[in-house]
Amino acid sequence: MLLFDIVFNGNDTMYAEAVEAVNAAVAEYGEDMAVGFPETAYSLACFYAETGKKIETLRDAKEALTYIKSQMTRERRLDSGFKSGVATALSAELIEAMKYVGGKQPYEAPYLGHMTDAQIRELGVPLVTGDIPGIAVIINAAPTVEEACALVKSYQAQGNFVCLVGGIIEQLKEAGYKTGFNVRVFPIGENISSVAHAVSAACRTAMIFGNITPGDKAALQEYTFNRFRAFVNAFAPLDEKTVACGAGAIYYGFPVVTNDMDYTPSVPKSLIKQPKVEEFNATSLEARDIKIKITNVDIPVAFASAFEGEIIRRKDMRVEFDGSRVDCAELVQTCEPSEVEDHKITVIGPEVDDMPDGSKNSIVYLVKVAGKNMQSDFESVIERKFHNYINCIEGVYHTGQRDMQRIRISHDAFNAGFRIKHIGEVLYTQVKNEFDAVVDKCEVVIYTDPAECTRMRHEVAIPIFNKRDERLDNLTDESVDVYYSCILCQAFSPSHVCVVTPERLGLCGAVSWLDAKATNELDPAGPCQVITKERVIDENLGAYEDVDEAVQKYSQGALEHVTLYSIMQDPMTSCGCFECICGIEPFSNGVVIANREYAGMTPLGMTFSEMASMTGGGVQTPGFMGHGKHFIGSKKFMKAEGGIERIVWMPKELKDFVADRLNKTAKEMYGIENFTDMIGDETVAEDPETLVAFLTEKGHPALGLDPMM
Amino acid sequence: MSEFKLTTVEEFEAATNRLLETGAKVGADSWQMRVKNQTPHCKFGESGVCCRICSMGPCRITPKAPRGICGCDVHGIVGRNYLRFTAGGAATHSDHGREIAHTLHEASPDGNYKVKDPEKLLRLAAEFGVETEGRDIYDIAREVSEVGLMEYGKPFGYQVFTKRAPQHTQEIWDREEIRPRAIDREVSCAMHMTHMGCSSKPEALIRQSLRNGLSDGWGGSMMGTEFSDVLFGTPKEVETEANLGVMVEENVNIVVHGHDPSLSEMICEYADSKEMIDYAKSMGAQGITVSGVCCTSNEVAMRRGIPMAGNFLQQENVVLTGACEAIVVDVQCIFPALGPLSKCFHTKFITTSPIAQMPDSEFIRFNAKTAGENAKMIVKTAIENFKNRNKDLVYIPQMKQKAVVGFSVEQIEKKLDTVTNSHVDVTGTMMPLVDCVKSGVLRGAVAMVGCNNPKIRPDAAHIELMKKLIANDIILVVSGCSAQAAAKAGLMDKRAKDLCGAGLKRVCELVDIPPVLHMGSCVDISRMMVLAARIAKDSGWNISQIPLVGCAPEWMSEKAVSIGNYVVATGIDTYLGVEPYAYGSSEVDGLLKGGVRDWVEAAYTVEHDIDKLGDMMIERIEEKRTALGI
Repeated sequence: MLLFDIVFNGNDTMYAEAVEAVNAAVAEYGEDMAVGFPETAYSLACFYAETGKKIETLRDAKEALTYIKSQMTRERRLDSGFKSGVATALSAELIEAMKYVGGKQPYEAPYLGHMTDAQIRELGVPLVTGDIPGIAVIINAAPTVEEACALVKSYQAQGNFVCLVGGIIEQLKEAGYKTGFNVRVFPIGENISSVAHAVSAACRTAMIFGNITPGDKAALQEYTFNRFRAFVNAFAPLDEKTVACGAGAIYYGFPVVTNDMDYTPSVPKSLIKQPKVEEFNATSLEARDIKIKITNVDIPVAFASAFEGEIIRRKDMRVEFDGSRVDCAELVQTCEPSEVEDHKITVIGPEVDDMPDGSKNSIVYLVKVAGKNMQSDFESVIERKFHNYINCIEGVYHTGQRDMQRIRISHDAFNAGFRIKHIGEVLYTQVKNEFDAVVDKCEVVIYTDPAECTRMRHEVAIPIFNKRDERLDNLTDESVDVYYSCILCQAFSPSHVCVVTPERLGLCGAVSWLDAKATNELDPAGPCQVITKERVIDENLGAYEDVDEAVQKYSQGALEHVTLYSIMQDPMTSCGCFECICGIEPFSNGVVIANREYAGMTPLGMTFSEMASMTGGGVQTPGFMGHGKHFIGSKKFMKAEGGIERIVWMPKELKDFVADRLNKTAKEMYGIENFTDMIGDETVAEDPETLVAFLTEKGHPALGLDPMM
Repeated sequence: MSEFKLTTVEEFEAATNRLLETGAKVGADSWQMRVKNQTPHCKFGESGVCCRICSMGPCRITPKAPRGICGCDVHGIVGRNYLRFTAGGAATHSDHGREIAHTLHEASPDGNYKVKDPEKLLRLAAEFGVETEGRDIYDIAREVSEVGLMEYGKPFGYQVFTKRAPQHTQEIWDREEIRPRAIDREVSCAMHMTHMGCSSKPEALIRQSLRNGLSDGWGGSMMGTEFSDVLFGTPKEVETEANLGVMVEENVNIVVHGHDPSLSEMICEYADSKEMIDYAKSMGAQGITVSGVCCTSNEVAMRRGIPMAGNFLQQENVVLTGACEAIVVDVQCIFPALGPLSKCFHTKFITTSPIAQMPDSEFIRFNAKTAGENAKMIVKTAIENFKNRNKDLVYIPQMKQKAVVGFSVEQIEKKLDTVTNSHVDVTGTMMPLVDCVKSGVLRGAVAMVGCNNPKIRPDAAHIELMKKLIANDIILVVSGCSAQAAAKAGLMDKRAKDLCGAGLKRVCELVDIPPVLHMGSCVDISRMMVLAARIAKDSGWNISQIPLVGCAPEWMSEKAVSIGNYVVATGIDTYLGVEPYAYGSSEVDGLLKGGVRDWVEAAYTVEHDIDKLGDMMIERIEEKRTALGI
């Protein structure tokens, strides 16, 4: 059969199933019944992105069917093939949406179904940095369970995000393979229609980060084609519906690799036949032009960013190191070249073999670096990356920093031969890899001897940390001569520019002023460029001609003015991967802040996802602004509107996280003690009336301020 | 970046009208006026029924006088005229090829001409059976050129390039006795057959027309292309610009026109030298701009990115700008009108070839041995003429488009390699293209070639057909004045992908090409033959089965008829917008538009309604797809 006919038939079948599903739902619930996926502000995102219309009720769903049918043209041209592919995806999305009607939870572990907005936003940073080089969507069962596991593992080991549809999920389950969002293996659903959840993720990425106007089909396609590095692996036997979905994937720019050799013709770079499953990985990456940064770390377990989110539970743990209970520290120290022996790794004290199973131990690792361009300011920048490096080790888990880190090594990793010295190997390789412009030589000394750890922590590390804190405290927007631009996100959010200042880190939370400075030093033509601050327009707003010129230049003219300290006048834009978003709360003259992890309702009547959907993609929405968590305690936080005393509500978890710094700043700025006690949270109020009552009772200062608009 | 928009034919015409006003001011003649004087055209001539081969006539056939004095009927007369027309074209192309072969013979390491593509030379040597082991590259070049020159007059055997065709095609040529022998022999044979008292049987005359055409396409033209590549480099992707706006008012403008790259290459070389640029500056200009007209322009655009000022019917416009210091011509398609026209301006009309000598021109004889000095002298003459410009007459229409050109078969192959997957595909084939066609992503291809002809609104047929075809996912390979029409319109800008159907658009994006591929000058239609042969071999289809047709909507020259004959004889259906002078005979007309299909699996279609011509090509391509089951 001709390729187009297969696509047309598959589309017809999927559409018929959608009609049936919608009709059944209408029969059961009536046309007024609400339709939607959980924790998203984008309705049925595929349909919304394609048409600009949100499907909110079953009546809308019925109307959507009419639109879908109108797209199912049947000319012998690829245009019809593409339209039918998209119509198949939209039909599939409706089928999936019907499963959720009435608040049902159609998917049970390991099946996950719909991906939340928060999850997509979480993927933003790793996608732009290339930590997630690609997104693999694997459909159907592999020829064998072993091949299924090997293929998924191969992608995971490269850091790719893997979505699974159909038989391969049961194969992984059978093999006991760990899956989940945190390890970047996302089993979606059993039926091919569930692939719509993967398409939905692509469409939401375009709307969230790319500022693609819902309904602007051409821009959506261009975005996914050029920026969303997804691809499909579909195992034989293919059926018509799968091929029709494939046509949709190819339309969006995602090539399909299959081992079904006879069913369809090949299409260069789009539909590729590869009989050898062991070559699916390499074939797919080449087809989607994905280059994997090879980090060959000489350790007995895998090393990849996909393992960053892996959690080691107590029962799976061989040993742990815990800075909150015993003496630990992690430290980078700049030395003279003569004091450093490159690639020397020393362990002073017992190895894991000598530690009792399940025991808590001390650890200090000192990374000595030397280089002509090394500056002591970069020490903390390098140090901050240790969390990420150690977490990328398969079977090893790391949290915290400085002298409060916690590390767990799993039984599996230990049994595979992983030892303390390998932590040294990882630190050495990664520091040399990523900081090659400033680090010429690197040596790692790891202390596990408890007495040595105590000495290192108290006599070496803590004095250095204190000194650094002093330096950071003195590092204010006024005390430096330059700021930095950061356009790391432009691969995904083409018109967004961050202006990073000492008191205002990047909204993703990942780029501080020192980070930006180091990035500029490491790659002078790279994403972080110097912005001078010589021509002040308005100090209170944080408006500078230099800053305006820089954002104009780096946004290719999309942005003209940006202020550093106002959320009302020319607020800084967001790419979409912000940690938090604040928005004005008119009843209290204040602002509400929600963090990405918070899934509940805010007094604005919007969830984080809904608030987030109003900004992002490089647009300015006065009254709403994305930012990093650490910015909340800054004296520059919406300084133009009066500063942190405007904060009236935060989710409890976030409030606890920022309490120390926020209270300190409030004390310094306004002389208010325990300011966070005055701030509402979800346990106090989720609506404005209750919130204002609470604020009045607490005497919150915002109530007495001028309205913001 | 500014918004991309095609330039319309209306805009071309508005610019031309503005230039004609300048012409009127200085009392210049123009082709537009001469067309009026010549209309209506002689119907006897147009239908091909007028015979003036012997001095008993002229005889012309009417219902009352159905036979000439010798007794030849209308079919014999039309057939003879058709064959002579073909022979004129084949001789012209092939003689061009011969000139290049002589130039190759002159190549030396320290001479005017060098071997720029030794790899291609070695491939040709292998094809020609020339020993290469341990030999100096220039010795090889000399022997290859000698073997090439022998192809023109060898007493025995067939054109060696015909071996490049797929087996099936070669079998057809042998079966139908049309595999071409020596090139000159086929021309002589044509002249002999059409002499008074020789052939008057339409089948015989058309068969020889095909064979003579093949001696051009798979002989003389192919040699012209291949040897030019050896001497001047095989074209690679290069960016250039097209339309009169490429001329620069502040600079000395030299326009090269004609077909043979030996001259234009040298002129480009010298015009780019510091010595000449300094000289131009000393004469008050800011620099030197070389631009081209017709196929010589295509040659230097493909190899050097030299901008294209225009195509055939724009040659007078170049002079009408008042800013052309010299129009330097070699051979073919040069209006004798340029002589008198140049006298109305300061422009020097410089003829260079003994083959094309014209009144009112300055003749600077160009010779391979003294090419450097000749070119330098021409450039100097132009520079020294800058001061004679009448500034009041200067008007250059600020109209131009970007074009990406240089798609030799070798470049196309490299481009296709970029979309292969090293884990499943081999490189160096046409398979990616074949796969796109098989899957339906591309419906097929059209090779669009040929001239302008006042009988058709200039460039409109080329451009409108191309727009229609690319919107239907049909890729275009083009050459000659058709290519320049596309470039002027903007169809060779990569952004033209947005005018394509979804399939061709995706192909343009993935392969990073414009939807209309410039393959070169008119002799370079031989490249298209090689491309068709490569596709046939890689796909396993016969050439006649490939969803591919040829098209010359605005053709006018004898060369075009020769080309049409070899394209059809290679198995490619060919669509024309202008009648060959053959409709006066139902038998000849019937053969060309149908009968030859039994011989070579392809035939001509002529349709004056250009839109309909496009529909017919699409329909034919779809028929071929259905027949293949794809």
